[in-house]
Amino acid sequence: MGETGQVTFAMQTFERIHPVEFQRRFLSQSTRHTGREFMQFRSLQVIKGAISTAQGSATVRLGNTTVVCGIKAEVCEPDVKTPSSGYLTTNIELSPMCSARFRPGAPSDEAQVASEHIHRLSAHLLDLTHLCIEKGRAAWSLSADIVCLKHDGNVLDAAVIALVAALEDLRLPRAEFDSATGMVSAERTMGHVEVQRRLFPATFTLVDDVYVVADADDAEEQMAAASLLVVMDADGKLANIWKRGAGVMSKENIELCVQAAGVRMAEIAKALQ
Amino acid sequence: MSLNITDRRRINGPQRSVEPVYTTTSPVDAFAAGGRMDGRALDQVRPIFIKTGPLDAQSLSAAAPSGSAYYEQGKIRVSCAVYGPRQGRKSSNNARMGTFDCDFKYAPFSCSWKRSHVKTSDEKEIALMLEQAVAPAIRLDAYPKASVDAFVTVIESDGKAATIAAAINCISAALADAGIELYDSVAACSMSLHSEQWVSDCSQIEENASSCSLLVARMPSADEVTYLLQHGKTTPEQTQQAIQTCANDCTRVYAVICRYLQATLE
Repeated sequence: MGETGQVTFAMQTFERIHPVEFQRRFLSQSTRHTGREFMQFRSLQVIKGAISTAQGSATVRLGNTTVVCGIKAEVCEPDVKTPSSGYLTTNIELSPMCSARFRPGAPSDEAQVASEHIHRLSAHLLDLTHLCIEKGRAAWSLSADIVCLKHDGNVLDAAVIALVAALEDLRLPRAEFDSATGMVSAERTMGHVEVQRRLFPATFTLVDDVYVVADADDAEEQMAAASLLVVMDADGKLANIWKRGAGVMSKENIELCVQAAGVRMAEIAKALQ
Repeated sequence: MSLNITDRRRINGPQRSVEPVYTTTSPVDAFAAGGRMDGRALDQVRPIFIKTGPLDAQSLSAAAPSGSAYYEQGKIRVSCAVYGPRQGRKSSNNARMGTFDCDFKYAPFSCSWKRSHVKTSDEKEIALMLEQAVAPAIRLDAYPKASVDAFVTVIESDGKAATIAAAINCISAALADAGIELYDSVAACSMSLHSEQWVSDCSQIEENASSCSLLVARMPSADEVTYLLQHGKTTPEQTQQAIQTCANDCTRVYAVICRYLQATLE
């Protein structure tokens, strides 16, 4: 017992018993529990092409958060409404393997929402007409699956970066459609698919209704009132802004975040090299 | 070929998609000129790499697994997370022993064909195999009413029996990382029969060319076999010889796992 009658705890015990109070001790001093600045992102590492069974792959490590994106290419008939386009479907898998917060079985609400948003973002990454093999008869169907291996907050950023990197790594075989047999034959020589528009995500979280921090880890996400995803493209233009949560973020905060996202863009571009 | 069931909870692609027919597939002879494709000896296991625990132990989330391991063996990549001992999901009648549950999943991009997102019976069968192989090593009587859960995801697969062996090894490493009380680590290895010759640790191409495959999981210190599975046609003498060789391979794999685990203590 301290002299003033306060109860003192060992740091780890305090973190377990009063996680919110623990975080507040740091945030009120304008720092974070890992020693980062408010607008400081974690170190980013991108490894492309590690998986030989996938036509395109990338592993992204953002602090402790690790995601793997693998792209499998198959051949299909194009949609009647878009006879010269292929398909790009993206799904993120948040399983109990990455965090105890997820239950085994069907995708949780969080995973469904994340998959839907990433799919919407991916619409402009590729020119789908480049996936056409034979108009109206055959096209490539790319299925990009993002598996989260370790979850320590900010999976969305890591997932988008992994998707862009995997698409850049993608190698498609040269394919030919035989109208007599209706079969598509392919050679093993691989061609590149051009990523039309590179996207650079940055997530900011409103913690404890007051503090805006960049790239929140799991402990900070648990205290989040709202979060803001800012996606820039290679020209420095805004591709997407998505604010989730009921917390109120001021206009000044949002402008600050957009500025910080521009800075983050350079860091991501370097890691994607 | 994948007949894509419309999964209401996922983004779906086209109803039906197939792999293209590759024109330049001349059947690859995996054992041409007496040697193996990657230059290994017939009794040589692929090099193993294991990384246990989180990348940055300083900032660990409260929901992180008790133990985790990332395992590579040649091209095979497996990741495992272990939770426990934690409260058992079912209030079991046998309150004196804990339970060990295993969950196994291939990532959709892990095999040469696209795998379904939904767990197939194949994966459920392998999950049971993993439970049977690893459960004897865990001191479940030390964790009454508790449950130890392992979740395994295969990121890249190269040879079915070899991948299952890799999964067993990965779970062993993760359990040790989680600090679960074990009698011993379980090490597993696989072999395939090709032209009357047993070959250790076969890749997918080599397995396709074989007539029989064998998987052995063993606790070397206790000198006990926890799991044994053979697929294919052999004579009893051939199988007996193979089990002996495979058990020795398991001991070698065990030494590698132990060395990696020891390195984390330094």
